[in-house]
Amino acid sequence: MYLPKIAARNLFRRSGRTFIIAGVLAFAIFFAIILETFMAGMMEMSFGNIIDFDSAHIQVARPELFDDNEDPLEHIFTPSEEMMTEIQNLPGYAAATPVLDFSANILAAREEFPVRVRAANPDSFNEVFRYKDHLIEGEFLKKGSSGLIIGINLAEILELEVGDFYTLLFREKGGSLNTIQGEVVGIAATPEPGMNLGTVMIDRSYVTAALGADSTVVNQLKVRMIDRHTAVAQSDNLEQTLTGSLGENAQVNSWREVSDMLVALEVWGQVETYFIVALILLVGAIGIINVVLLSSLERVEEIGMMKAMGLTEVQIVRIFSLEAGGLGVIGGLIGAGLGAAGTYLMVNFGLDLQMLYGEATLEMGIPIMGTMYGVWKPGSFILFFCLAVLVALLSSIIPAYWAARKDPIDAIYHR
Amino acid sequence: MGLVKLDSIKKIYQDGEISVKALRGIDLEIEEGEFTTVYGPSGSGKTTMLNLVGALDKPSEGTVHINGSIINELDRKGLALMRRDNIGFIFQSYNLIPVLTAYENVEFALKISNGNHENHSRERSIQVLEQVGLGDMLDRRPNELSGGQKQRVAIARALVKEPRLVLADEPTANLDSRTSKEVLEIMLDMNQKLKTTFIFSTHDPMVMEYAGRLLEIRDGRITREERR
Repeated sequence: MYLPKIAARNLFRRSGRTFIIAGVLAFAIFFAIILETFMAGMMEMSFGNIIDFDSAHIQVARPELFDDNEDPLEHIFTPSEEMMTEIQNLPGYAAATPVLDFSANILAAREEFPVRVRAANPDSFNEVFRYKDHLIEGEFLKKGSSGLIIGINLAEILELEVGDFYTLLFREKGGSLNTIQGEVVGIAATPEPGMNLGTVMIDRSYVTAALGADSTVVNQLKVRMIDRHTAVAQSDNLEQTLTGSLGENAQVNSWREVSDMLVALEVWGQVETYFIVALILLVGAIGIINVVLLSSLERVEEIGMMKAMGLTEVQIVRIFSLEAGGLGVIGGLIGAGLGAAGTYLMVNFGLDLQMLYGEATLEMGIPIMGTMYGVWKPGSFILFFCLAVLVALLSSIIPAYWAARKDPIDAIYHR
Repeated sequence: MGLVKLDSIKKIYQDGEISVKALRGIDLEIEEGEFTTVYGPSGSGKTTMLNLVGALDKPSEGTVHINGSIINELDRKGLALMRRDNIGFIFQSYNLIPVLTAYENVEFALKISNGNHENHSRERSIQVLEQVGLGDMLDRRPNELSGGQKQRVAIARALVKEPRLVLADEPTANLDSRTSKEVLEIMLDMNQKLKTTFIFSTHDPMVMEYAGRLLEIRDGRITREERR
């Protein structure tokens, strides 16, 4: 009972020093929470954008499509009725759409630019993707039409507007060059920067003939599920069910497998966060060691008297460790409070990535445009608070033992 | 055997290559209830002897018996428990814990000991503080007390657990003569009522006047002994 009381009162005996060290710990906790919020928000939005504009929740294709960088037209297939039935029978199924991706160069005026052409079914495409909601000019694709939708950044580069003519130059399935010409019917500005620059969209039924392929062929089936977790859980089941139905094995990838670059970024982001937090906590730990040493030097006679009264070394260590733990608790609480305030701002007002990184945002490969919002992560509050207390406690043990092992006579007479 | 028994005690301090013989062969037995004063010039070995009797240190040669235990054989924890259960200390510089009030300083000593007052430590602490005349200063911190008042708190702290032995090293060195007399009266009263054994180390003639047994130490040896 008295040991915590002595420890608590000693904490406020030198309140300036206490709050400096607690401040360092608080900064570490605040920084860690904000970084976690930022990273979690970035990942949440990135995965969301990839799902909504590029990969959907689940993709079904030949394995080679995911493995090599050859022309996607080499890996086309015709979805069978059984395959579509299996997909539609998946628990949590919402919608599916066929997609035929291929490489081409877009020519407009005197400019030429390499793009991925996504040939889509206008009706079912919008049940799986959110592209239509982000058209800023013109209209969406129409079945049988040569109309093209391009991203806003590509439109700026090629100085294209709705109604302007374009030419797509591509190699058809047989290998010979071919072109498609038509009008730009829509310009899209999506939150996924890659889709605004490197992808154009056209009606699949119009383009298959020009590609020298049957009108039924696709190279991917994109599936939307009721949520992300269901998609991850069901993708393996679907792969087992579809084995053999594409002539060879079908590969079914969930959004998470497709976003391996982002997953790696997420892992690196966490490593980076923990590294920075570890550095700051190290500074805090050095501060705590310093505080315990200073405190024990100032209280030599007090330690001597405690030893004369019969306190064991473990009890004296406990007093100093409780003081250090108290520093950790104060620092942790302040840090968590500041972190909560910062997270509130991030969640409600967001952070403009363009303002933060400028044009570099596009080059960073992060599939987010505009304002990025944070995410509440209660687990990180608990984790970093406990970490601060633990670091404080652990870093106090050796200097506390140093203090507790002082010779009682030297301590009492302060020799 | 007496409460304290020193057999052929020598204590040598090593300072680099220089050996300092603080005690050169002390034989002494102190019975329970004695009110003993050790006096002698500075550096004669008074405090060294008190430290050995208080289980704060071990002799270089010889054996120290306290309450039937040989302290030479105890490890650091054993020494701590010996002090906690048997000995009370009063020092010249009071050594109160500054963040605790007078009452808390006294109760703290009681709480850490395995005494008989665990269930009524508050009443017992207040009772002892009242006995030393500080019944109205329970909530004062050491920095709010005068030197005499601090020494009274130190006496109360030493006595609250009713130890068999109280060691007082120059307890009146920082006190004026009136206050010195008051604290000596308190200790003598405790000695007579509770049969607590007191051993003082002092230069103060007033402390010597109160002693039931006087021991003079010079150059690490007991050179004179007087019983009254």
